[in-house]
Amino acid sequence: MADENGSNLRQFKEGVLSNNPVLVQLLGMCPVLAVTNSVENALVMGMAATFVVVMSNLITSALRHHIKPHVRILIFTLTIATFVTIADLTLKAYMYQVSKQLGAFVPLIIVNCMIICRAEVVAIKNGVGRSLADAFGIGIGFTLALLILGVVREWLGSGTLTIPGLEPFHVMPAAFTENGHNWVIMILPPGAFLTLGVVVAISNQIRARHAKGGAA
Amino acid sequence: MSFGTMITIFLGVALVNNLVFSGFLGICPFLGVSRKVDMAFGMGCAVTFVITVSGIVTWLIVHGVLTPIGNAIGYAEALYFLKYVAFIMVIASMVQLVEMYLKKFFPALYTAFGVFLPLITTNCAILGTCLYIDMKPETQHLLNAAIYAFGGGIGFLVAITIMAGIREHIRFSDVPKCFQGAGITLLVAAILALAFTGFTGIGK
Repeated sequence: MADENGSNLRQFKEGVLSNNPVLVQLLGMCPVLAVTNSVENALVMGMAATFVVVMSNLITSALRHHIKPHVRILIFTLTIATFVTIADLTLKAYMYQVSKQLGAFVPLIIVNCMIICRAEVVAIKNGVGRSLADAFGIGIGFTLALLILGVVREWLGSGTLTIPGLEPFHVMPAAFTENGHNWVIMILPPGAFLTLGVVVAISNQIRARHAKGGAA
Repeated sequence: MSFGTMITIFLGVALVNNLVFSGFLGICPFLGVSRKVDMAFGMGCAVTFVITVSGIVTWLIVHGVLTPIGNAIGYAEALYFLKYVAFIMVIASMVQLVEMYLKKFFPALYTAFGVFLPLITTNCAILGTCLYIDMKPETQHLLNAAIYAFGGGIGFLVAITIMAGIREHIRFSDVPKCFQGAGITLLVAAILALAFTGFTGIGK
C-alpha cells in the first residue's frame, strides 16, 4: 500500500516537472499560445483543462475493462467532449467575461492532444488511483506552464497582473504604460511564440544540466 | 452576396487572421510536420480538404438539424449544448470518409497523404474553424461559410509550407543546443507572425 502511494506521488510529480505536458512533451500548444496574454485567462484555462483531464482519466480508468480497443479513441473523444461542454457552460454561467475572452479555446480543449494522450497512455492501462494522480499532475503542470507564460506576457505587455475576482495589480509604474513603453508585442501573437520559444529553451537548458549532474 | 464580400472573407481568414500566426490553431502539426517541404505541403493539402468539407457539414448540422429541432421544441438554442459533441463526431467521421474515398478512387493521392489523414481528427485548426464559422455573423450563409473554411485551410497550407522551407535551411546552421528543435522553430514562428501582422488592415 505504501509503495502504491509512493508510485502515485511519483506519477504526480512527473506530470508537473520532468514530464510537463507543455515544456517537455510539447503537447496542447494552441491554448498555451492563445490564452496567455493575461494571468487571469491563463489560470482559468488551466483550471478548465485540469478539470477535463481529471474527469476523463477517472471515467476512462473506471471503464477500462469494458472499452473495446477498436472504439477506444471514439470513447475518449466523446468523454472529453462531454466534460468540456460542462466546463464551458459552467464558465459561461459564473465567469462570463473570462469565458468570452477565451472564446473558442474552451471548446477546443476537446482536441487538446495532451488530454487524449493521458487517456491512451495511462488511464486505459492503470487503476483509478494512479490515473487520478497522473491527471492532477498533468493538469497542474499544464496550469503552471500557462501561468509562467501569462505572468511574463502580461507583465511586459501591459504592466499588470490580473488575478481572477480582483482588480488588476500594477507591477510596473504608471509611466510604463502611459508613455507607451510597454511591449505591446508581448500581448500580440508574435510575443506568444517568442516567450514560449525562450521558456522551452530555458527548460531544455535546466534539464540538460540536471541530467549531467545526475550522471556525474 | 457580392463577389467583393467573398474576396474579403477569403483574404481575411487566409492572410490577416491566419489560422496559425494569429489564431494559434493547428500549432501541433505546424511544429511537428514542418521538417520537409513536401511533407508539409501534403499535410496542408489534406487539412484544406478536410476543413472545407467539415466546415460545410457542421454548418448544415447547426442550421439544418439543431436549430429546426430547437424551434420545434419552442426555443432555437435548446439543443446547442450538443454542438461540441456533434462537431467532433462530424470531423472524426468526415476524416474516415475522406480516407476511404481517397483509398478507393485516388490511391496515388491516398499514399501521398499517408499517415497525415487520421492525424487530422485531432488537429484543432479543423474544430476551431468550425466553431468560428458558427460564431461569426458574416458566415450565416452557406457559401460564405464554405469560403471561410477553404480560406482557413489555404492559410494553414501557406504557413506550414513557409515554415518547412525555413526549417530545411536551419538544419545547416549552428543553433545553440538548448534552442534546437522546438525552441528555434518557435522563434522563427514569432518572426513570421510579426511579418503576418503586416497584413492587418487589408480588406477593410
